[in-house]
Amino acid sequence: MPTTPGPVLTVEDLSVQYRPALGPVVDAVRHASLRVDPGELVGLAGESGSGKTTFAQAVLRLLRRPGHVTGGTIRWGDTDVTDLDDDALRPLRWSAVATVFQSSMNALNPVVRVRRVFEDVIAAHDDPDRPTDARERAAELFDLVSVDPRFLDRYPHELSGGMRQRVNLALALALRPRLVLFDEPTTGLDVVVQKSVLDKIRELQARERFGAVLITHDMGTLLDNADRVAVMYEGEVVEDLNTAQAVTTGPRHPYSIHLVGSYAELLGERVPGYTGPEIAEPAEVPRPVAHDPVVQVEDLRRRFTRRRGWRTEHVDAVQGVSFTLREGAVTALVGQSGSGKSTIARVLTRIDVPTSGTVRYLDQEQHRPHDVAALRGAVAAEYRRNVQYVFQDPYSALNPTLTVGYALSRPLANYHHLGRRAALERAADLLEQVGLTPAGRYLGRLPHQLSGGQRQRVVIARALAAEPRLVVADEPIASLDVSIRAEILEVLQSLVADHGVGMLYITHDLLSAATLADDVLVLREGALVESGPAAEVIGDPQADYTRELLDAIPHPFARRTSA
Amino acid sequence: MSESSAVPRPLPSPRRVRAAHDAAGEARTALRPPRWYAVIWSSRKARIGVVMLSVFLLVAVFADLLSPYRPDDATFVPAQDPSGAHWMGTNTLGYDIWTQLVHGARLSFAIGVLGGVATIVIAIAIGLTAGYREGSAVDDVLSFVTNLALVVPVLPLMMVIVAYSETRGLALLVFVIAITSWAGASREMRALIISMRNRDFVTAARFGGDSMPRIVLREIMPNMASLVVSGFIGAATGAIAAEAGLSFMGFGDPNTVSWGQMLAQANANGALVQGLWVWLVAPGLMLALLMTSLTFVNFGVDLLSNPHLREEDD
Repeated sequence: MPTTPGPVLTVEDLSVQYRPALGPVVDAVRHASLRVDPGELVGLAGESGSGKTTFAQAVLRLLRRPGHVTGGTIRWGDTDVTDLDDDALRPLRWSAVATVFQSSMNALNPVVRVRRVFEDVIAAHDDPDRPTDARERAAELFDLVSVDPRFLDRYPHELSGGMRQRVNLALALALRPRLVLFDEPTTGLDVVVQKSVLDKIRELQARERFGAVLITHDMGTLLDNADRVAVMYEGEVVEDLNTAQAVTTGPRHPYSIHLVGSYAELLGERVPGYTGPEIAEPAEVPRPVAHDPVVQVEDLRRRFTRRRGWRTEHVDAVQGVSFTLREGAVTALVGQSGSGKSTIARVLTRIDVPTSGTVRYLDQEQHRPHDVAALRGAVAAEYRRNVQYVFQDPYSALNPTLTVGYALSRPLANYHHLGRRAALERAADLLEQVGLTPAGRYLGRLPHQLSGGQRQRVVIARALAAEPRLVVADEPIASLDVSIRAEILEVLQSLVADHGVGMLYITHDLLSAATLADDVLVLREGALVESGPAAEVIGDPQADYTRELLDAIPHPFARRTSA
Repeated sequence: MSESSAVPRPLPSPRRVRAAHDAAGEARTALRPPRWYAVIWSSRKARIGVVMLSVFLLVAVFADLLSPYRPDDATFVPAQDPSGAHWMGTNTLGYDIWTQLVHGARLSFAIGVLGGVATIVIAIAIGLTAGYREGSAVDDVLSFVTNLALVVPVLPLMMVIVAYSETRGLALLVFVIAITSWAGASREMRALIISMRNRDFVTAARFGGDSMPRIVLREIMPNMASLVVSGFIGAATGAIAAEAGLSFMGFGDPNTVSWGQMLAQANANGALVQGLWVWLVAPGLMLALLMTSLTFVNFGVDLLSNPHLREEDD
């Protein structure tokens, strides 16, 4: 090791309480300590609600009421900032400690060109005796993050998501801070872009020697990129994990074992001491062989026309996609954001209509084909019942004012004409099927009394209530914590195995597609680049693009296997 | 290398950890959010408003007990100074001012509640229909009517309607107030339902086979409750002010007793010139205090729909 200057961030014994005007006091962070050395990337992992973000806000001295720091010290370099007031903090912010926020769209001012933001930041902190050339520095920073300096004169909405996040990174580095804090910087970006952003961060760290804290609930990313990972659980830092050690001898605290183990399991790796839910089993359960086709999609095209000034522009969201969805089979639709996945889902659920091509529904009794765009009367009602939808975000998919029992009994009353009592009994059965037992305890609950994983189970149970032939699941695990993703996948898998439901599983994550799907469709810019049985596509990808997607999946255990 | 995380206790299995984690999660989620009355009561302004409003309500209900005379009894010696028999004195027409004042609270309350309800019902009906059918011809027509109602000068319209009607009375006042003041609240309702309509849970209800009226009533309306309540309070305040204004200008029902009527009579009979300032000031002050109390209560209702405000100082 070269001569190490002191740490860029030292947090000792930090405690934070939320003291709302109404309701009880909550200890959000308890006696947490963290140290970041120059050039080091330290991860902060934990479930939602574990206090990661509160900890970060306190460290940045951005904590808002009703949060209060109740103990401990925070030092940026040598400066104790625990009790500094805003006036004393202002010159230090951005020049000593910078941050990149989660939503890159909102972090850049939408009404000014990107250049202005850079010039403002540089001017506000500039030394009047030795003025910096803001234009030159901004171009230099763009070079640093590999974005063409021409984009300096664009507005934020003209940049893509990945580019915007790189611009934010450049902005954070504008004043050569010694510490940069990243709060879920790649959430909402797809795997390929995520990898490029993280690679960039590591590369810049090696050159500029700034320390970094990376907050995310994506354990794979952390194990792949970070030097150390601080695992937070219920407001405490329960383990300060060396990542190299984590993948070889494994973590020591049971919660970190759980966190690392549930990720490793998806990759088919074992972590010492981990006994999670075994999701590999249902693959061996023989499935019904005769799969009736439910929906046939043939040469589907969707073109969006937009008028801009005098010209009209076309965007081809979907270009000639064909596939068949069958009962009892899972088809995964994989692609980056903007690849047309959601448009296909919207067409299937009749929110949108295709520009050309056909989507045919084969009815239950006689398997006669019907054009989905022109369904009428009884067949339209049958289609609505038989094609159900599982939402991405369980927090918005349940009405906050209505109980679980009500949410589940509506499809039962509408489609099976059950009375109140019968519907509630059936709802209880459904809850047991998705693993919420005893069901009686959950029927009367409101959504806010459930955890994220429990909510998603309720959403799945509601889709199941109609006894559909096909379920469209739109990224059903993307907004859930890593440790509960495996459980939800398990529930979805049992849905197919036990009920013979067909599923269109939409995701950007090939890894979960591999565990769940029978067939995989890889979509790029609206066109299919590869399709076939899951084992073949993932085991032996033919298209370069599929390989690129596979490579982008963090695989920290590869080091162990190859070593 | 930090080894500080070494755990002294024997390590439970990860399965156990998850069970404990779930239990902790349940304990956490079992904490109900504060009840609505606790939220309103937590605001100092709202507390003052609720207390003031309760006093007005008690006065209106027990008006007969608070004064020994009838409000339409004009048989007293006119223009008396306040005394034990007449706490605020009598006016030049021979009425007891205190008696009129406590009975006037009844009409103001009635007009506030009925006018507020009628206004908000129209606003909800039109706003919800337009919002749910956003972009359609129905929405175009309803939005046009709403915009028209917004720009029509309200007071002259009220005066015209009252002047041409054959009956005078509470029902007419409520009707006039409702059809002239629903437009602003209707616009709010329309905007809110447009944002609600695209929520995932509304889409989910459609997948569950629910009909449009059921979705609006069961899924959407409960989520709008605090806006409806604050809209109602705003409409009630407006209705009380409108009644006072109309009565003051002589468009009220001369057979009822209201604070607006008292002001009108005091003005017409030159109360100030005769030194009977109580006659003029008392009803004006009551109107101001009643409307202030409603506004204060609305501060509390705001906290329901916007939890961030709960942490601010009063």
